[in-house]
Amino acid sequence: MKRKLAMLMTGLLTISMLSGCGNSANTETDTGSAANTGTTTDTAASTEQSDTSTQTAGSGSAALTIAWWGNQTRNERTQQVLDLYSSANEGITFDGQFAEWADYWTKLATASAGHTLPDIVQMDYSYLEQYVSNGLLVDLTPYIENGTIDVSNISDNALDPGRVGDGLYAINAGVNVPTVVYNKTLLDENGITIKDNMNLEEFYAVCREIYEKTGYKTDVFYGNGADYLGYVMRGEGTHLYSEDGKLLATEEELKKFFDIYETGMTEGWMCDPSIYAERTIGTPEQMPLVYGSSPATMSWCSFTWSNSLASLRNAAPEGVELAITTWPSADPVASDYLKPSMFFCITTDSANPDASAAFINYWTNDIEANKILLGERGIPISSEVADGISELMDANQQDAANFINDVVTPNSSTIDAPMPEGAAEVTQMVNQLVEKVCYGELTAADAANQLYTQGSAALEK
Amino acid sequence: MKKSSEKWRTCLNKESVAGVVFTLPFILGFLLFMLVPMGISLYYSFCDYNILSPPVFTGLKNYTNMFHDETFFKAIGVTFYYALVSVPLRLIFALMVAMILLKTTKASGFYRAAYYLPSIIGGSVAVSILWKRMFAIDGVINKLLSVFGLEEGISWLGNTKTAIWTLIILAVWQFGSSMLVFLSSLKQIPATLYEAARVDGASSVTQFFKVTLPLLTPTIFFNLVMQMINGFLAFTQCYIITQGKPMNSTLFYTVYMYQQSFEYYNTGYGAALAWVMLAIVGLITLFLFATKRFWVYEGGV
Repeated sequence: MKRKLAMLMTGLLTISMLSGCGNSANTETDTGSAANTGTTTDTAASTEQSDTSTQTAGSGSAALTIAWWGNQTRNERTQQVLDLYSSANEGITFDGQFAEWADYWTKLATASAGHTLPDIVQMDYSYLEQYVSNGLLVDLTPYIENGTIDVSNISDNALDPGRVGDGLYAINAGVNVPTVVYNKTLLDENGITIKDNMNLEEFYAVCREIYEKTGYKTDVFYGNGADYLGYVMRGEGTHLYSEDGKLLATEEELKKFFDIYETGMTEGWMCDPSIYAERTIGTPEQMPLVYGSSPATMSWCSFTWSNSLASLRNAAPEGVELAITTWPSADPVASDYLKPSMFFCITTDSANPDASAAFINYWTNDIEANKILLGERGIPISSEVADGISELMDANQQDAANFINDVVTPNSSTIDAPMPEGAAEVTQMVNQLVEKVCYGELTAADAANQLYTQGSAALEK
Repeated sequence: MKKSSEKWRTCLNKESVAGVVFTLPFILGFLLFMLVPMGISLYYSFCDYNILSPPVFTGLKNYTNMFHDETFFKAIGVTFYYALVSVPLRLIFALMVAMILLKTTKASGFYRAAYYLPSIIGGSVAVSILWKRMFAIDGVINKLLSVFGLEEGISWLGNTKTAIWTLIILAVWQFGSSMLVFLSSLKQIPATLYEAARVDGASSVTQFFKVTLPLLTPTIFFNLVMQMINGFLAFTQCYIITQGKPMNSTLFYTVYMYQQSFEYYNTGYGAALAWVMLAIVGLITLFLFATKRFWVYEGGV
């Protein structure tokens, strides 16, 4: 009897566990949205409100949810600005939610499924089109027309990347440029100097020299290199994607990108891919430039964007001075571009689009707020704000601003169009192929071939 | 009026009504949080769904796409390897510890609790992070090895051959629940059997294989089925420690499902993957039940 009972229990438990498996995808969604309910209310009314223009923007009370991805420095500064705004505007309270890059997009997607998106979201160039085409973002044009968002000090160049179709859906939060941050102290000690706009051959020479003299390796984008692929393609005189959303670069041109990794691995100066297994990729604090136990697990440089200079310098060990230069490519002048580092958008789930718009205006145009932010997200787009905070900017921002104005701007061209549909899959492919090349499973030529054939197929879908 | 309230009362006093009322919390929970989401997930598995826009029905496309998906087969391979290696190892380990703890002394209660501890905290994020740090290049394991002269740190998590073993060792370490089940059934084996065996001149090794093991087979079977299912559905360890890296050599099926659903936004495909997993685990459980009559002893003592 007892044994029969045990068998019955086994069976029952099996069934319940099996069903637990089957629905796990959905419970994720449920918990994701459940966690967000309560932060935003009355979603049904919001979509209607969002289209009507506003009269009493900024007044009244509202609880706003604002979400961003970022690092320690950004989280602290953003929270300070939110607190400042709440204390100056009676009745406005904030729920600031932050996450790391990968988690952020998961969170946002699940929230969108439950129609519980935060009022204001930080948006990236690569996701903008997807969110707009799914009707998740509010067109900000009415708010600009009625003066809620003041764009009088902002150039069209800075606003244009936020346009999709006829609408302006996103306000640029700062200008960013591709940047290599490097350990100047280490290089000075060994008498090596870096010049801006290095081409690949010059870059290789530097990497070899540093590796021979110090044992420090080189960290080139690993696991997040799709932007760099686009950059290298521009250096080859082409673009990764054509205007109609196909692969434009040829197999031969794509190989140039994988050659960098193949060369680095065979010559030994590139960071061993195994070190990345323990780190969260893309987090400044864990980059081999500033974190590691020995030269073999560290890098003399880090491929990143100009706005991460401040957090990298914060994370750097005492006595290490970090300096910046351009990403290498066959022709860096042809490659380089200015990029909106990120945007702020109002979602159609927002119950308070007016108050949200007023806050975005504050964020963009208020000098006091930007004295706290100090261009952490990129150089402010409002010329008045940029001037207003320039004296206050510490060495980090000064350096970044000078780099953008003096080095990149004169030697740059327009950024590529937003990534086409299906590009997310190509991005994923690039990362996996880089991994395989670094582990020696594929040659650069094979990787290029796979990217070309499979990437084209993914974009056809 | 009075009549109806009387009717109401008799109705409430019926035995079946009491039963329904008491099981209602479970029934509601089961319907709302199990059956409904499962139904929705089944529907999504036939759709092209990316969370951001409404699902579009595409029939069996998600299921046929799996045949062309290299990563799908890779994940299946990794998951089978993990489950088939870690579960037997865990059971052997659990049985060994249970045998040691069988002897009742003053301290045995403490030891039982202490050995059970890893299983309580085992599936948690905190242990996974601890594990990740332990096996890091500058982690405790390498520091210990350097004492024995292995100065060069080994990248346990970065090597395609060793990374999966960090997860397997973690699984084996969480032997507590199987151990407790073994312990209780070991205690139920009558001492008279051992006495008889001793009288017949059986050594303790023979006693183990001729008396203990056969009488334990129903428990082993129970543990095997339960742990096998757990093994196939493992998620947290992989998601926190390796994320499938390097080169997908540790990509558990459930993590791949999560990546497809929430990182690449192929949520319809993710749902289809979930249903295929359901079928796989179901088949394996059926298979285990089918083999039962060949090795599980069901007679009385």
